[in-house]
Amino acid sequence: MKRAQLAILAAASLVIAACDKPAAPPPPPAPPAGTSTSTSAATSDGASASSSASASSAAATPAVQTSTPAGADPASPDEAKKLRIFCWSEYIPQSVIEEFSKKTGIDVSVENFASNEEMLAKLAAGGGPYDIIQPSEYVVEALVRENALEKIDHAAIPNLKNIAPEFLNLPFDPGNAHTVPYMAGTVGIVVNTEVVKDEITGFKDLFQEKNKGNIVALDDAREMVTWALLAQGLPVNDLSDENLAKAKALLSNWIPLVKVFDSDSPKTSLLNGDVAMGVVWGGEGALLLIADKKFRWILPAEGTHLFIDSLAIPKGAKHPGNAMAFMNYILDPEVSKKLSEEFPYLNPNTAARALLAPEALANPASFPTTEQIQSMQMFKDIGERASVVDELVTTIKAQ
Amino acid sequence: MAAGLSIPVEDGVVRRRPGLRAWLVMLPLVLWLAAFVVLPSLMLVALSFAEQKGIGGIVFSGTFRHYARVFSEPVWAKVVGTSVWYAVLCTGLCLVLGYPVAWFIGRASPRRRDILITLVMIPFWTSFLIRTYAWITILGKEGPLNAFLMAARIIPEPLSLLYTPFASVLGLVYNFLPFMILPIYASVEKLDGSLIDAAHDLGAGPLRAFARVIIPLTAPGIGAGIMLVFVPSIAMFAITTLMGGGSDPTIGEVIYKQFTSGRNQPFGAALGTILLVIFLVSLWITQKLRKSR
Repeated sequence: MKRAQLAILAAASLVIAACDKPAAPPPPPAPPAGTSTSTSAATSDGASASSSASASSAAATPAVQTSTPAGADPASPDEAKKLRIFCWSEYIPQSVIEEFSKKTGIDVSVENFASNEEMLAKLAAGGGPYDIIQPSEYVVEALVRENALEKIDHAAIPNLKNIAPEFLNLPFDPGNAHTVPYMAGTVGIVVNTEVVKDEITGFKDLFQEKNKGNIVALDDAREMVTWALLAQGLPVNDLSDENLAKAKALLSNWIPLVKVFDSDSPKTSLLNGDVAMGVVWGGEGALLLIADKKFRWILPAEGTHLFIDSLAIPKGAKHPGNAMAFMNYILDPEVSKKLSEEFPYLNPNTAARALLAPEALANPASFPTTEQIQSMQMFKDIGERASVVDELVTTIKAQ
Repeated sequence: MAAGLSIPVEDGVVRRRPGLRAWLVMLPLVLWLAAFVVLPSLMLVALSFAEQKGIGGIVFSGTFRHYARVFSEPVWAKVVGTSVWYAVLCTGLCLVLGYPVAWFIGRASPRRRDILITLVMIPFWTSFLIRTYAWITILGKEGPLNAFLMAARIIPEPLSLLYTPFASVLGLVYNFLPFMILPIYASVEKLDGSLIDAAHDLGAGPLRAFARVIIPLTAPGIGAGIMLVFVPSIAMFAITTLMGGGSDPTIGEVIYKQFTSGRNQPFGAALGTILLVIFLVSLWITQKLRKSR
């Protein structure tokens, strides 16, 4: 009898363990906060309470900040030595954060998200309050439009001068009033040349019947629709019904050819030899090129898009001064070099590039040429069309 | 007549209304259920009648739009169908594999029982994600399993095991098997061996004794095991995306995407509510079956 109870108890504990699955979907305001690290779970239930608290402080903080630029000083007496960062997983090296902490005495806590929308949902639910977020360009556009970001004080971020001009003053944040660029990147094709002997120049060559079951693609509906639009010479931000119908016609042939959908670590299936080609993030492509000479990087002939991830301070941040100190620290050439070494994306920091090893600079997946960059389009916020795009891709996948 | 007979039997069981003290003892459980089960479920249902505005704001509007969308396009029913199919497959395999194991453990000597149960549990002391990535390494084209099969000259070239429905089901069964073994084991362990002897004495062969005596007596364990495996495996999408490659969308994955890249939390909530209804109905059915026996 006792043993039976023990078994049931064990089963119950397994159920609880199962509920704690890391990839569980985060139910919006409900307690088990899915993917992120320990602290976020604690905030979820008290989210409404903390959001109201942060709303009142939000009204106060910008006033302080604009009237006294000294508030940006990390040593500012009215700001606790704390910083809450909400960033992409696998994007800011732990060593960089630790060193910042050591240098400034600021206690940094980090929470991660896996997609821009996950971050937005948590911001909207009153998560945090975070001091630094790391949105991509189209999300910055939406956040600026909704007046959800604090203005930054350029005087507190002198290292902004290290950023190449083509990454500054972009349409999503004119004059960089709210953001500083963190890293940029693109999407391209990687081919295992030991297996694939054909010449592949773009999406159309990749998505061929003979390559069926040998392809990895980013598990991202908007990405896939973008490739189909590019292949037909259509602008990536015009998601009219007509254009989506054209994209759907092409994707109906393409998606069944794909063996693995993975946007977290598309390099894994290429490295393990389960697929021989695929469409991956530039940074992942760069890591593959470093890992093995058999991999080749191809910038799609039909074009591709450029993404820029920035650092921004959400409204309601309790430590905007520390946040700007962190921004300045990240833009330091030596620090930025470390980011590139660990996550070889397109580093917008010219001064840091000068410090990089020549072979890192020559990695075509990290650093496209200036002409190539200029030919790339950038995502704009598509708002509720995201739902239509998602349904389009899900429908094809489920067939 | 049969119904008339059964009532006094039920009355024979002591059925008092719980007193205040009992309620006090239950209070933590009631609060826990209210805070972490009832409230989130109600929030989910409420969200399914709302609209998403702008970058993530939710406006309650009382719309039925999201439910209409679920039933207007066949794709969502198809996704639910795929998930239920995987769950049925997983539950069936877990039952077939788990029952003999549970039986064996339950009939073993007490000392060995403890060791065997611990062995069942040990893999679950490591993180779910690490175990899943271990499978990815094992099943990969250049992984140890293929290397072994080729070295043993069983196969001429590496098999494509990973990123297939086979890998999805393998991952599900591997993860949920203990949920089947443990409740059945609990039933087997309580089983009175003299009843089986009696069945044999009365002329039942091993098959008959198994079907007419052992199965009915361990039915509570089987029922609990089925529920513990079936319900969570429907919505389990981490395995189907990581090991199955994500080419067959399952309902858990689709709901997750509504909350993230699809930017339509209310629609995700509507799908979640429908899933909840499916769970409640299957629970109700098992309950009915149990009563009707």
